Amino acid sequence: MNLDATTSPGRPWLAGMREAFPLLGGYVPVAISFGLIATQAGFTPWEAVVISTLVYAGASQFLFVGMIAAGAPLWLVVAMTLLINLRHVVYAPNLAPWLTPSRGWPWLMHGLTDQVFALAHARLPQLPASQRLGWFGGAALLAWASWIGGTALGALAGGELVARWALMGEILPFALPALFLVLVAPRFTSRRWSLALGLTVLVALGLTILGFTNLAIPLAAACGALCFQVVKFAPARQEHAKGDRHE
Amino acid sequence: MSSALWIAVLISALGTLLMRLLPLLWMQRRLARQAGGDGPEAMPQWLSLLGPVMIAAVFGVSLMPVTPGLLSWVATATGVLATLVVWWHKRTLGWPVAAGVAAYGAVVILAALFPTP
Repeated sequence: MNLDATTSPGRPWLAGMREAFPLLGGYVPVAISFGLIATQAGFTPWEAVVISTLVYAGASQFLFVGMIAAGAPLWLVVAMTLLINLRHVVYAPNLAPWLTPSRGWPWLMHGLTDQVFALAHARLPQLPASQRLGWFGGAALLAWASWIGGTALGALAGGELVARWALMGEILPFALPALFLVLVAPRFTSRRWSLALGLTVLVALGLTILGFTNLAIPLAAACGALCFQVVKFAPARQEHAKGDRHE
Repeated sequence: MSSALWIAVLISALGTLLMRLLPLLWMQRRLARQAGGDGPEAMPQWLSLLGPVMIAAVFGVSLMPVTPGLLSWVATATGVLATLVVWWHKRTLGWPVAAGVAAYGAVVILAALFPTP
């Protein structure tokens, strides 16, 4: 994939920020919603911002404040929050081959969200090793800052913003699927990959429509991976059967 | 917020961070142990498979419109098509996203300007 943003050798962090910019279209409106919902659930704006800063995981944050507001036991709130975030365990190992030796990487893992992973998984292999840390730092910090800023905005003025900019709140989040589409499209390189990835997308969308948003990512990914493995054996078996039957 | 609630926030935050961090340390050790293993071929096959399918799953989830309805789905389909067409021609990151959002927004705004009776 070519680049819109040139990665100038001196400022890889700037290129990272530029390439992560489309993420803001999805992050900011959702963060505003979180800030608003958190304050409606009884948290102060300061507390909402602290949760966004420390936990920094969209879906689980909504669940966290929702369960607290509903009076769920704290151990269950924590368990469910961590369960939803369990999918994150496969992200960093997938990036590991492209991470350079530096003490900065472990700290930056706090910013490894679904979206930052998708972007980094596509871009890190294309960057020179010397630019990867700066690029990832720029992309991850911009995304994190936008999430925290959006939460603060939502907690302080969310009601008014939603009322005044309702249409923009509906349009801007499309930047996320558009970005993911651009990241996933180059991977449709063979029939086997196309089938596995196409199935994954459909299962994830289907589960989300049915209301299983939190399960959608791990379940759909498991279906896609299974499909990829099964399809690998299908041609061999077919060939074998073909040979046996002399068709 | 009570002390117990603060502790719940801190445990959730620390747990999430560890889920992002510990697998990295594990993988880096594994790569270091393997001779010349600083490439993707040193990764277990199941893990290298999970990367692309996770991105596809995140894409599938993100396709769900903010306010589901016929108009939103038409706008989503239009946006996806515009993104794909521009990506096909330019093979870049930014322009297809801008085209997709513009196409999606055009459908939503046109529908707001000319509501059907």
